[in-house]
Amino acid sequence: MKLNKSLFSSSEFIVLLGLLAIGAFFAFTSPVFLTKFNLLNILLQSSIQGIIAIGMTFVILTAGIDLSVGSVVALSGVIMALMLHAGVPVWLVILLNLVFGVAIGVFHGFSITKIGMAPFIVTLATMAMARGLTMVLSDGKTIFDFPASFEFFGAGTIGPISVAVIIFLLYAFLAEVLLRSTVLGRNIYAVGSNPKAAALSGIRTQWILYFVYIVSGISCAIAGLVLTGRLGAAMPTAATGYELDAIAAVIIGGASLMGGKGTIVGTIIGVLLIGVINNGMNLLNVPPFWQSFLKGAVIFLAVMIDSLKNRQVEV
Amino acid sequence: MKTSPILETVNLTKVFPGVIALDDVSLKLFPGEVLGLVGENGAGKSTLMKLIGGVYTPSKGQIFYQGEETHFRTPKDALDAGISIVYQELNLIPHLSVAENIFINRLPRRSGFVDWRKLYADTRRILEGSGMEGIDPRAIVADLPIGVKQSVEIAKALSYDARIILFDEPTSSLTGPEIENLFAVIRRLQERGIGIIYVSHHLDEIFEITDRIHILRDGKTVAVMPTAEADEETVVSRMVGRDIQNIYYKGEHTPAEVALEASGISDHFLKGVNFKVRRSEVVGIYGLLGSGRTELLKALIGARPIKGGEVKLNGRKVRFKHPHDAIKNGVIYSSEDRKGENLFFGNPIWKNITYLAIQVGRFVKSGFTQVKEERAAASEYAKRLNVKAPSIDVDVYNLSGGNQQKVCLAKALINDPDVILLDEPTRGIDVGAKLEIYRLIADLAEQGKAVVFVSSELPEIIGCTDRVYTMSEGRVTAELLGDDINEENVLKYCLEIGAAEGATS
Repeated sequence: MKLNKSLFSSSEFIVLLGLLAIGAFFAFTSPVFLTKFNLLNILLQSSIQGIIAIGMTFVILTAGIDLSVGSVVALSGVIMALMLHAGVPVWLVILLNLVFGVAIGVFHGFSITKIGMAPFIVTLATMAMARGLTMVLSDGKTIFDFPASFEFFGAGTIGPISVAVIIFLLYAFLAEVLLRSTVLGRNIYAVGSNPKAAALSGIRTQWILYFVYIVSGISCAIAGLVLTGRLGAAMPTAATGYELDAIAAVIIGGASLMGGKGTIVGTIIGVLLIGVINNGMNLLNVPPFWQSFLKGAVIFLAVMIDSLKNRQVEV
Repeated sequence: MKTSPILETVNLTKVFPGVIALDDVSLKLFPGEVLGLVGENGAGKSTLMKLIGGVYTPSKGQIFYQGEETHFRTPKDALDAGISIVYQELNLIPHLSVAENIFINRLPRRSGFVDWRKLYADTRRILEGSGMEGIDPRAIVADLPIGVKQSVEIAKALSYDARIILFDEPTSSLTGPEIENLFAVIRRLQERGIGIIYVSHHLDEIFEITDRIHILRDGKTVAVMPTAEADEETVVSRMVGRDIQNIYYKGEHTPAEVALEASGISDHFLKGVNFKVRRSEVVGIYGLLGSGRTELLKALIGARPIKGGEVKLNGRKVRFKHPHDAIKNGVIYSSEDRKGENLFFGNPIWKNITYLAIQVGRFVKSGFTQVKEERAAASEYAKRLNVKAPSIDVDVYNLSGGNQQKVCLAKALINDPDVILLDEPTRGIDVGAKLEIYRLIADLAEQGKAVVFVSSELPEIIGCTDRVYTMSEGRVTAELLGDDINEENVLKYCLEIGAAEGATS
């Protein structure tokens, strides 16, 4: 097969090389970087971002965008915290949290397909509304003190591996299989690649759009569960700015904002790249202001390389 | 001939990795001459145009312009020297005025501000000099009909003091009167001594407007002849490289029972359209762009909501709410707009061919696609329709128009539909591919399929169909059968604007 060729020329492969190069740099400059503890830590740090970015991948594949993810993660955390304090059993809290994620997705899907609003605007509005509700519900205060069975999903471990990492990898695997091997997955790519042709080919494009925003909503709910469990607290300012990291990870992973192009594997490499940079800069004691700048610069470089490569192919 | 050539290419060759796109082509263009450049897709027409227009640089050979050898590095170099290309897809900015578009990167300025008075005066001067005085320099381009937009594009070329204008398929989206207008403008340019290269798949236009015809095949010049001495059969055989006896083809089939029937179809555009197609029948729909032919087909498959009327499939009343329903019931529509509405660019041939099939559960087991079966079927259909590509993994974006169209047809046919609605299946493709599609349509009718064939080319409608509907302004204006299907009738009825209500049986 043409596996080799497509493997080495794929966006994923190039970003993977970048990831290894940056990893090698940190391995030489920091003695701690390559320790098992630190590597597991990077994976743990990346798991929440990763879960969000998986949902974002679905949305971006249809040429959409979901700016609300950070706020929705925070709102999910506060809602669960309040329910737990009101004595709702943990299993029901988790279930209702997922329902909340679906509801957010349905709201976005409805606004986009039935009303015809632009995804950017709808999710920008939700971003503000969800953050506002988070503040109102929590009264601006951090909420603590949850049952251990709840915190297990963020802070627990199975053997040496944290539950958060397991949830992340399992979720990524499911998403990859769905996108790669099911009709639904193929239709998501089709809608992103050419919505008109998709509809005329018999694809119910509106359902597909509902579906991807629901996946994004569910991803936020799962991320909210893991984050709140890990911190042992629901903070109204949690997950601020996560939407940008998620979008950056998806694009670094080779997806196109124009839709129809991208993979879960790519997204995960993108998430890990951002995770490694964050971790390595902390190890090297880079001042926080410079960290932000350097992270931005790396994102710029990663996307620039991909764009240059595609430009050569195009013309 | 007249004087010395304004443009001459000598042994021009362009090699791309793996392909010789243009091979040793020598061409002459004289001032005031219209040179027709014809050839199948992939014959090298676009490459030649792009070499002359400075988009590509030659691998070998020379270009002489006004007697001197030139080396254009960019389209801007060529433009500044007086060589303009008017592309098939217009490059205007819709929200700006005619004048702004013409002088887009050279707006006249006075102390830093745009000198509007001079801008409009300059624009008017250019428009008047070329028979386009009817165009208002202040009009917003988006509001103009497509034919006028094209005139603006030509005016833009003239604003650079063009000595040579290359037209690349300029009529692909124009209606009859607009084409006449374009020809009038071209003749004016000719009188002014401008050299014109005219590329088109429409041989009737080539015969009407050109002085000489330059024929390319496989990157080489195969013939150059004065138009007056050429006829359609000769030109087509030289293009295709073999003798063509009968271009159009009806095949052997006898229409049977009615497969799809629509009565009183109305929406905000369609006005009570009656229509039917039988098994083993090829029905033609002829009408100008905007006559409602595409709208009718889309209404039939549920891609457009209808307000009134009903659709019957095999005598049973149906109501398709989404193309999905139509596909499930064996009614398939293939859009004329290959890039915009039919194919998924960036995806390989095989995925394009099976996209429609997997929607109705073919090659699928409990939601999972069976890639092996899919590829095998796609491969078979690509072969059956003679798609020319190194493998089914090639991105459809890289195929020629004719091969893209064959992929569209493979996609439509892989489900073995009963009713096939083909919207302009021959638009913008080369003669060889057209012939194959005419044969395919006849074959489908022979297999008992009901085929609807929409076209804006009269000869193929007349030559390939059993029955013809003419449409105009959202109505069916006539239904023609047998000997009544002739050029005169079809044209008369399709131009019948606001004709008496649908004169059909």
